[in-house]
Amino acid sequence: MDYLDLPLLELHKALVNKEVTPFDLAKEALNRAHRDENNAFEYLCDEEALSFAKTLTEPEEDNVLWGIPYFAKDNFSTKDIPTCASSDILSGYVPVYDATVIELLRDKKAVLLGKTTLDELAMGGTGMTGHLGITYNPFDPSKERMVGGSSCGSAASVAASIVPFALGSDTGDSVRKPASLAGLVGFKPTWGRISRYGLFPFAPSLDHVAYFSRDVISSALILDVLAGRDEKDATSSFVPVEKYEENIGKPIKGMKVGIIKEVYDSLSNQATKKHFDSAIEALKNSGVEIKEISLGHDLMESLYATYFVISCAEATSNNANLDGIKFGPYRAGNSYEEVMNKARTQGFSELIKRRFVIGSYCLMKENQDELFLRAQKNRAKIVDEVNKALKEVDFLIAMAAPGIAPKFTQKSDKLSREYLIADNHLCIGNFAGLPSITIPLYLENDMPVGINFTGRAFEEKELFQIAAALEKETGLAGLSAKNKKEGNL
Amino acid sequence: MNFEAIIGLEIHVEQKTASKMFSSAPNSFSREPNTQVMPLDMAFPGTMPTVNKQAVINAIRVANALHMEIDHVLTFDRKNYFYSDLPKGFQITQQFHPIGRNGYVEVDTSLGKKRIGIERIHMEEDTCKQEHFLDYTLLDYNRAGVPLIEIVSLPEMSSGLEAREYAEAIRNIVVYTNTSDGKMEEGSLRCDCNISIRPIGQKEFGTKVEVKNINSFKNIELAVDYEIKRQSKLILSGSKVEQETRRWDESSSRTILMRKKTDAVDYKYFCEPNIAPIRLSDEFVNHAIETCPELYDSKKERYLSLGLTVSDAEIILSSKSLASYFESGLSSVKNAKSLANFLIVEINAYLNKNGKKIEDLQMKCPTLSEIVNMGEEDKLTHKQCVDILNRVLETNVSPKLAKEQLNIVSQASDDATILEFVTKVLDANPQSIIDFKAGKDRALGFLVGQIMKESKGKVNPAAASKLLKEEIAKR
Repeated sequence: MDYLDLPLLELHKALVNKEVTPFDLAKEALNRAHRDENNAFEYLCDEEALSFAKTLTEPEEDNVLWGIPYFAKDNFSTKDIPTCASSDILSGYVPVYDATVIELLRDKKAVLLGKTTLDELAMGGTGMTGHLGITYNPFDPSKERMVGGSSCGSAASVAASIVPFALGSDTGDSVRKPASLAGLVGFKPTWGRISRYGLFPFAPSLDHVAYFSRDVISSALILDVLAGRDEKDATSSFVPVEKYEENIGKPIKGMKVGIIKEVYDSLSNQATKKHFDSAIEALKNSGVEIKEISLGHDLMESLYATYFVISCAEATSNNANLDGIKFGPYRAGNSYEEVMNKARTQGFSELIKRRFVIGSYCLMKENQDELFLRAQKNRAKIVDEVNKALKEVDFLIAMAAPGIAPKFTQKSDKLSREYLIADNHLCIGNFAGLPSITIPLYLENDMPVGINFTGRAFEEKELFQIAAALEKETGLAGLSAKNKKEGNL
Repeated sequence: MNFEAIIGLEIHVEQKTASKMFSSAPNSFSREPNTQVMPLDMAFPGTMPTVNKQAVINAIRVANALHMEIDHVLTFDRKNYFYSDLPKGFQITQQFHPIGRNGYVEVDTSLGKKRIGIERIHMEEDTCKQEHFLDYTLLDYNRAGVPLIEIVSLPEMSSGLEAREYAEAIRNIVVYTNTSDGKMEEGSLRCDCNISIRPIGQKEFGTKVEVKNINSFKNIELAVDYEIKRQSKLILSGSKVEQETRRWDESSSRTILMRKKTDAVDYKYFCEPNIAPIRLSDEFVNHAIETCPELYDSKKERYLSLGLTVSDAEIILSSKSLASYFESGLSSVKNAKSLANFLIVEINAYLNKNGKKIEDLQMKCPTLSEIVNMGEEDKLTHKQCVDILNRVLETNVSPKLAKEQLNIVSQASDDATILEFVTKVLDANPQSIIDFKAGKDRALGFLVGQIMKESKGKVNPAAASKLLKEEIAKR
């Protein structure tokens, strides 16, 4: 049965026509998951999923998520289903409540099959740092190349055609970057558009609920379900929700797109540039007005440092609740200090501790002005520049990554212009809380590379419109490791 | 060497809102530990804070009562530290933009009214409660997240008594704004005192000592005065006052060292990213102020204007439930002072005797007002009124019926009727007339007693006494 390889809308049709049942679908997806060789899963909840899927007997024609199986990154709180954010400090933790997005999806009768791996506590971009080890890229059978992170397991599960969509979270680029490396559509909305209640926080001012799918229209349809004000998340927005797929297919003539000059200039791979150019040509041919936007070289080179300071500072505070006292493995001691020390020393990997030390250092009274507050000021400057640019153009466009997925052994020069800019610019969308989407652009040696659009706040509908238009040009809708395509651009 | 003391107080009051500061868990006392808890209160990963509106309204009212500038943009910050009673590893507080700044409260001192400046008030959340045993500690999260208001005074008090009166003034404000129970004994009002001394005339402050664990208003006074004496002795004996935290030990009436203050803890404050700044409209703030229940000082002034003595007014206002009971009888009573008197003496005695609280009383204050009015109109003696009151309290009958059941008849106070009894009693007791004239005042009392007996209590004793004197003088 190959229903799982179908695009979401066609799968929905098959369900409505009772060609396949949610139960069969869940069963097949779980089979594929159990056979998975990419280390994509923290936990598979066969029993819960199958017994829920069994209850779904009356198809709902107007509900595209009815009976659709999906995975959630293991940093979403799921009641009665173990959730550890791929960290030993939460081994065995079973949440007592559901994240708002998990509730919304269940209300729509989507079937949660399990939880996917991540870089420990969502901190990392390689998919290598979870407590279960490396998560692999389904596009690379030799298992030499990254799938990216931190939402590595969710990316792998969609790229391997196990499910049509999976939830992730995006604090710097944790969905939109792996989407590039795994040939997927990766989308994060405006900050506040989707409730974060129940998403384990990494850096709340940057955190977004985000997700992977294999085509743009699925992404829009899923947002229809997830968007909206939530009383439990005080930062969620009151802006009315729209029909996000409404504009897909409408002409994009007259739309204005700005190429981020600094990203383009910092690309060293000529092939990448060439494919980017053809994407721009394609947009031009559709009547899109192209402009070059410069956000400033220094500002662009400061993105990564700014991101690192702010995210580590917030992370050290957000994860201070993980002290071994209330949940997670308890290690006895003679004092509360000893209990906490043991829990945190043994529960976090060295990389996490490093981030906490950095974050803590940036928040110290004597350093706060020079580091944390300076980073905040720089963030304000970045946001200002980006919003100014978005007055001139409707969208910013840039390569989501400098090239295909790097090898695990590949060392990158962390001070190179390509690393600082081309590899790390997607956090602009997090700084400014803007909607942003990555879609596959081309494949090189069977490995995909993505391109990214970022739009104005709450203009998700328009973002999907232009992304879908380019998707049509690339011909890469529905791309997966099982369904590798050539691409047109 | 003469010293002056400089005292500043940090007061935490627990708000009695329906739910907690940032979660929807009930904010109510429960003997069963860990029953008033939502996921946020135990800091389960992914939970998020939402601001309690009533807690904000209360804070605005307190800020207004303390004559403060109210910040119309509400922001919260994180105070980061690790401790076993702190579920999240940080406390959400208002470090950078407290809701109220630059206020004052007036207290009575021997030299008249004194203004004590208040630097700031801010909202924050309580920690969980710990119970330590020999080799383990129990944690109760019922208290975790209870809304608190912290009120920080300027160092402008100079004695234990002033500190106590300041704390009582704060108590009166939080109680009458309906913000808190304000009970130190139960921990709903907690007070830390910062005390330093310096030679009179010296500009620089002395070394500050913090005293915690004070569990009553009286003990604020005792603790501060003790500490002033202790520090004075230290300096006079050539030692130095050390910067430290001490606790008040009630049983030995002294302060005991808890810990030396080394480097101040760095709380790494930063803005709470999960609560976007909330702009409070003028309407919202004004409405909170306009709908604020009447404050202590205003009530006291009103009671005095109704003829109550200062002490009666203060006794009634010392308990909010007593005051609200009193208020409910005010509109129908003709003599507020008598009502106060009955309440303070008779009702209190009844409550004490029966181990009851005013809230338990079946008889509502309008009934008491009826008894007081009846006493005045029918010229009943105080004793008769008390008899009626007790009958009402015990059998829950109407005052009228109680009066009938007790066969109480109104006293005569018209001179003609009384004169009849006076003449009769004087005629029967010539020796008492001689005794009275010889200066034995007791004889008058005896004669009044005889008149009361003859008249079966129907005569007003004061009127009888007056007439007796006049008649004796004539004989």
